[in-house]
Amino acid sequence: MANIGVLIENGAEGIKETHFGVITAARRSSGGVFFAFLLNGDASAAKTALETYGVQKVVGVTAAAADFGVRPELQAAALAAAVKHFGITGLLGLGSPRGRDLLARVAALLDAPLVQDCLNVNLEDGTVVKSHFSGRTTATLRLKGNPMICSLRPNSVEPVPAPATATVESFQFPSADCGRIRVKEVKKSSAGALDLAEASVIITGGRAIGASDNYQMLRECAEALGAGVGASRAAVDAGYAPHSMQVGQTGKTVSPKLYIACGVSGAIQHFAGMKTSKVIVAINSDKDAPIFGKSTYGIIGDMFEVVPILTEVLRKRRRQG
Amino acid sequence: MESYLAIKSILMATAIIGAFGVFYRRTKRLVLLMKRVQGRNAVVPDRIGDRVRILFTEVLGQSNVRRKVLPGLAHSLIFFGFLAVQPHSLELMVRGVFPAVHVADLAPGLYGGYLFIADILAFLVLLGLGYGLYRRLVIRPAYLTNGRDARLIIALIAVIIVTFHLINAFLMLPSIGGTGFDYGRFLTVSQALEELLELKTLSPAAGRIIYETTYWIHILTILGFLVYIPGSKHLHMLAAVPNVFLKPLEWPKPMIKTDLEAEGAQTYGLGKVSDLSWKGVLDLYACTECGRCEEQCPAAMTGKPLSPQRVIQDAKVDLLQQSDAILGRSFEAVKPMVREGSPITGDVLWSCTTCRACEEICPVDIQHLDILLESRKHQVLMEASFPPEMQDTFTNLENQSNPWGFGSDTRGDWARDLDVPRLCDRPQAELLFYVGCAGSFDDRGKKISQSMARVLKKAGVDFAILGEEERCNGDVARRVGNEYLAQMMIQENAAVLNQYSPKKILTGCPHCYNTLKNEYPQFGARFEVVHATEFILDLFRQGRLTLAPDAAPERVAFHDSCYLGRWNGIFGTPRELLRIICAGAPVELPRSADKGLCCGAGGGRMFMEEKIGKRINAERVDDVLASGAAMTAAACPFCITMLRDGLADRGSRVEVKDIAELVDMATS
Repeated sequence: MANIGVLIENGAEGIKETHFGVITAARRSSGGVFFAFLLNGDASAAKTALETYGVQKVVGVTAAAADFGVRPELQAAALAAAVKHFGITGLLGLGSPRGRDLLARVAALLDAPLVQDCLNVNLEDGTVVKSHFSGRTTATLRLKGNPMICSLRPNSVEPVPAPATATVESFQFPSADCGRIRVKEVKKSSAGALDLAEASVIITGGRAIGASDNYQMLRECAEALGAGVGASRAAVDAGYAPHSMQVGQTGKTVSPKLYIACGVSGAIQHFAGMKTSKVIVAINSDKDAPIFGKSTYGIIGDMFEVVPILTEVLRKRRRQG
Repeated sequence: MESYLAIKSILMATAIIGAFGVFYRRTKRLVLLMKRVQGRNAVVPDRIGDRVRILFTEVLGQSNVRRKVLPGLAHSLIFFGFLAVQPHSLELMVRGVFPAVHVADLAPGLYGGYLFIADILAFLVLLGLGYGLYRRLVIRPAYLTNGRDARLIIALIAVIIVTFHLINAFLMLPSIGGTGFDYGRFLTVSQALEELLELKTLSPAAGRIIYETTYWIHILTILGFLVYIPGSKHLHMLAAVPNVFLKPLEWPKPMIKTDLEAEGAQTYGLGKVSDLSWKGVLDLYACTECGRCEEQCPAAMTGKPLSPQRVIQDAKVDLLQQSDAILGRSFEAVKPMVREGSPITGDVLWSCTTCRACEEICPVDIQHLDILLESRKHQVLMEASFPPEMQDTFTNLENQSNPWGFGSDTRGDWARDLDVPRLCDRPQAELLFYVGCAGSFDDRGKKISQSMARVLKKAGVDFAILGEEERCNGDVARRVGNEYLAQMMIQENAAVLNQYSPKKILTGCPHCYNTLKNEYPQFGARFEVVHATEFILDLFRQGRLTLAPDAAPERVAFHDSCYLGRWNGIFGTPRELLRIICAGAPVELPRSADKGLCCGAGGGRMFMEEKIGKRINAERVDDVLASGAAMTAAACPFCITMLRDGLADRGSRVEVKDIAELVDMATS
């Protein structure tokens, strides 16, 4: 019984988009059952979304403790027990802070090989791809031992639907030993609904945004796009945006699929933090702005004119399905 | 009377022996502390002749102190007057112990001449003290520590001087001064005092009592002062002269090279006060809290927690508090400098831009940066404690040898359309243009490099670049404290340079210039290094560049880069260049040349967030806007970025250009 599984972090807002990439990466062509593990979540509610991507068994993992949801040690122990119970030979999760924490614990409990922050995995032949030297080289590693446990870098694998029919099951971990750690509070940075590092689309406002209120315009566009909202250092320095939104050398390093830079000059310190974006679109009224030399597409124009039009078009499309 | 003199003699001898004994013990402890500390990076006193000359200019000439006119004058008055009083006080002590011995009688003319000068100089001390008090009570500059210590010292010196004059006034009375040595012939101020107080009208007995009282106050104050000095900020009276004598003779200085492969090394950098070198300890002793460094410090003036004088004082307090453990050689027990509750915090260390204004202005040549930079080194290498945003920069430097993480194989791409040869293809080139990271990867910097290359071509210079073989020079990593990473890059560069042995190296970036010129010799790479401004000026002088007839820019200000100016003394060259290529003389910013204000990017600050206080580049932009300049020239890619950002924040249209760009525009 060589089954595989993915760890799904589902919060109040449902399953994060990036998890479907994880599921896609974990899929394989032959043998065994494809599990998805949810910790203390409503497994049946997640079923429809998960089976679209090929999950065959959705398992809600719980334990006897009332505060199971805030006990990482107990969660890890329950997950490790489930991995054993269902004969999982490969477990993949998202390389989010929580995912990296839980998977490391599970690997330690099972004395299993662990690779974090993979660019891709092949649970079939037990290999993973990792980035080295800031992405200049990639290494393919073969893991020995069973089960192999990996976390996937957010957005590194494109989600591809592969409909299946899933059943829902629950796994009750008998222990109530909560361990010594309790998550008292999770403070969300005010960067918006989406964590910048995980966002597959980012729209950023530079100094030209002129005022913090004007970010509302970008937030509206971001909502239509499913994007995160960022800021350049100049905008943060000018007090238009909090540091948690800063993309760049001394802020967040991001590599989304699409990066829309509005009113960003393209100073090196900003570019250093987003240069690995797959497609860069620049909107700037200064045709000589250095950002145009770095972008895939450039729109010469006032962001205050261009962005609302873009938002409008995106909304219209969405309405039309 | 006879019995009083006998008792006085005994009391005086006891007091002198006691005071000198305590002074000796306390001073010996301080010297022992210098011997016990474990840092091994102190200077080796060489070129004694030059050092003696420094004593004449800086100590007797007071050249450093006088850079602040009125406080300097006040200091000189106190300094010379206080010294002048001492021989006479010594004579009085001798006379107290041996009433029959009158030194003055041995050479009355000589002693009289001395007394004439001392009498006048002593009076001038009072003027100096008056100004010192006025500064502390009325002007009250924020940088001046204004504690009890300072006021007590002013009071003590005042007592010594006033009693000096009073004693001399009494000595003019034959009943007290005797009939041998004629005091009246030599004293002017004291004589005026004698006349003012009408001492002659006193009865001999009353005169004797007041004289003896004054005498005891004078001697006991001096002896008390002697005992007080080693524990007070006036320790500088003992430590300043040796510290000046031992100062680095060459102004450009390399950072301390840490031997990372040393067998048995337990710690790197400055983690505890016991890691100081003996010269570092002397630096702490020499500080008198004049506050000039704090006044010049860009971090202190923009509301950061760093003040160079506070770091020195805090380290000194820490050293003295932990002196028992150090003297007892129980170094394990010495607590780290940066610890819970310590005034020296991470924010203090990381606020420094290494602009070196503190060292430049320090009247007693304290090497503040040795302490700050070595502390950073310890924090990074031993504690892995540094601003988190530096992590990416370190990683990028490690992987791609540039702070931004661009592929190192694209380092030469800026020159793609300019037909610039690589040194590997043209090893016989007259000049190696070492471009640096900003000049290679930053769009703004690339334009400067392209201008530089065009200028070289116009002048027909046979030059080449390293291209992909170039590495980061190591400045950022080294000044942030990552000595390991810095040495790695420096060694790689040094190996490449030694392989080609270029005849001359040109740099546009002052950070590259400083490191290549002053620090690479530590790693066995000694080459002639010139900065772009020096080299271009030479090209003009040789007539190899011709000015274009186009209109020259007007009202151009020059912003001094710390690593060109203060670190390497190049102030005049860029200004001379501007005079050639611009219309009219360059505009001087309010703070310029040796007092130039840092842009805020040095010491790796370019790659850190500036969250505390006003941003330094905003402070500098105030200068630019106040000067009325239409354009600012600089000679450093980091300065240019900081100034441009600062000006953009103000919505200012003042342009910022590198001198190489201006030369490119001005020549045909």
